[in-house]
Amino acid sequence: MLSYLLFIATIGGIYGLLALSLNLIWGGVGMVNLGLAGFFAVGAYASALLTTVGHGPIAAGWLMALVAGGVAGLVVTLSTTRLRADYLAIVTLGFAEAVRLVAANEIWLTRGTDGISGIPGPWKRALGPDFNAVYFLIVLVALLVVFFLMRRIDRSPYGRALRAIREDAQVAQVAGKPVLRFKTEAFVLSAAIAGLAGALYGHFTSYIAPDMFLPLITIYIFLAVASGGTGRPAGALVGAYVVMTLLESSRFFVEWIPGVTAVQRAALKELLIAVALILVLRLKPSGVLPERIPRARVPPAPRPS
Amino acid sequence: MTKIRIGRRAALAGGVAALANPAVVRAQGSGGTANPIKLATLTPLTGAGGPYGPVMAKAAASVVEEVNKAGGVLGRRIVLVSEDDQTNPEAAVRAARKLIDVDKVSAIMGTWASSVTTAVAPLCWESKTFLCTVSGADSITLLPHQGFLIRTQPNSRLQVTRVGEFILSLGAKKAFTMIPQTPFTQSTFDTLNQVLPKGGCTHQSLIYDDKKTTYRTEVDQALRTSPDVILANGYTPDTVVLLKDLYRAGFKGKILGFAYSINQKLVDQVGQPEVVEGVYTFAPSPAEGSGAYEKVKAATGSANPDPYTCQVYDHASLVLMAMASAKAATGEAIKENIRKATVSGGKVVDNAVDGIKEIMAGGKVDYAGASGPCDFDEKGDILDCKFRYDQIKAGKFTLVKIA
Repeated sequence: MLSYLLFIATIGGIYGLLALSLNLIWGGVGMVNLGLAGFFAVGAYASALLTTVGHGPIAAGWLMALVAGGVAGLVVTLSTTRLRADYLAIVTLGFAEAVRLVAANEIWLTRGTDGISGIPGPWKRALGPDFNAVYFLIVLVALLVVFFLMRRIDRSPYGRALRAIREDAQVAQVAGKPVLRFKTEAFVLSAAIAGLAGALYGHFTSYIAPDMFLPLITIYIFLAVASGGTGRPAGALVGAYVVMTLLESSRFFVEWIPGVTAVQRAALKELLIAVALILVLRLKPSGVLPERIPRARVPPAPRPS
Repeated sequence: MTKIRIGRRAALAGGVAALANPAVVRAQGSGGTANPIKLATLTPLTGAGGPYGPVMAKAAASVVEEVNKAGGVLGRRIVLVSEDDQTNPEAAVRAARKLIDVDKVSAIMGTWASSVTTAVAPLCWESKTFLCTVSGADSITLLPHQGFLIRTQPNSRLQVTRVGEFILSLGAKKAFTMIPQTPFTQSTFDTLNQVLPKGGCTHQSLIYDDKKTTYRTEVDQALRTSPDVILANGYTPDTVVLLKDLYRAGFKGKILGFAYSINQKLVDQVGQPEVVEGVYTFAPSPAEGSGAYEKVKAATGSANPDPYTCQVYDHASLVLMAMASAKAATGEAIKENIRKATVSGGKVVDNAVDGIKEIMAGGKVDYAGASGPCDFDEKGDILDCKFRYDQIKAGKFTLVKIA
């Protein structure tokens, strides 16, 4: 049981990283990035290839994933500078699908739909059954570092500028903020984090294949951020664990229900997840931990002269 | 600081409570014979494999039920846990982890999609859990599985060789293959490019994206080569679209496909009998007429159960007999003894109950399965298998031959 909980907590942590990444770009700057699974895949493949084909150390793989994710993010933002809202969403969705198709078809590089198996885990042989626990700690450290970074950004003048762009890019521009630079930086950072999450996933399960990076995972993360609270790092984090808990605990709940077949149980499981998420969004429309906008300090009234 | 602490604690407490509670309840509920043996099916109950997984789980359950009625194995009752792999490797890994760590099953049976099997296999051999699969990709038995894996499905090279021979027997001169990118795509091309030219037939092919909603351009590209036989080698959802587009484009040649995608469900989804009229299907054949096959028929209530269902019936039977031979119920014990259920010269049995009885009495058994003889080589591949060819006539599958 314990090693299962650790496994789920680790995957939850990886979802958490993705949620923080999405929260920065969607909650922070208001750019809808439906290509999250694409950046996740880029990171996973970059690290897997460097460590299996290139025989590089795992830490280098993770670094590579950050860089590869960031570069992919840079390419996507620079090629979509004039797109906003729905248009950006569609292009990013297209990007994710393109990544998945390249992974499935460029067999010389990615081994196609066979996927890459035997991705090394850190000290896996030496650790044996303790691997899950140690890996959980690694993911936890990564998650906390990213979380504090996100919170720092959220509360800094930089974060305020991002929010200003989210509310109205034109006004921010008029106020002298370099909107494009802010957007690009935020997107690159967000994509790099998603890339890191991908690498952490690959080295944990030891196998990646194009089928793992379907748009479904992007939807899970959108649900996580929306139910946790858009625009607040802690909300994204809680949301990721809420979604993971729902996905996994529903397995056990449906086992209680007597007199249903295995198929009905599988369908019920999906139904339960949907109902729970609808309830969360119905009862707490702005998420479990809604965004807190600090009040602007009122400047002291001018002294009457 | 305070903020995260609440967040993590709430999430953790919620998770632990949700996960731990039912487990406790279940442990009490199972009662009766102490310490049951746990087995699992991990079949696709939803997703592209949805038409197969439910019946597969049912077939395995019927074996377990029969053996339990006859007193179980080694004096212990057997509990079967059925999880859904969602035909998705990411979801399958989570489900497998639950089966291995929480339910502590000794064997997982019935993984269907090749990508799912490849994702789940490392978890199995690392935790010494036995894995029985029906996936066909050649790469699967080449994984470093240390013997913890068998598959009852003939590998794709063997299957495609037979497909090629069948295409030649249809008198084809120009064959064309349309296939999505899958773990068996490349080996399909390589094999057909070897087999077809020997019979004086040229072969061309294209790879399509199985998530598209129309295949007009792909069909145009194929018809430009004026083929007389098209091998439609996708899964059900994309093959529905492909067959319709081929019909619209006025293709008059013969169409051949694997029975795992061209099945009754496809015929129903297409909805127009003229679209699928005359289409040939091909599948590894179950051992029709054998005692085990009759039992699968009775258990599933189906007049012609598909090969996967028969294979999973055999998985469950083989695993239980292996446990009886080993006098132990661990994955390691199954691995060491799985081939002892099909000893040539042993007493021929067609079900696990008779097999276990014979083994406990000190005899040797040769299990004749519902899917075939169930003999495996050292890599875990099945040695021998028959194939079945059908043709759709007026919306019904009619048998052409079994060979």
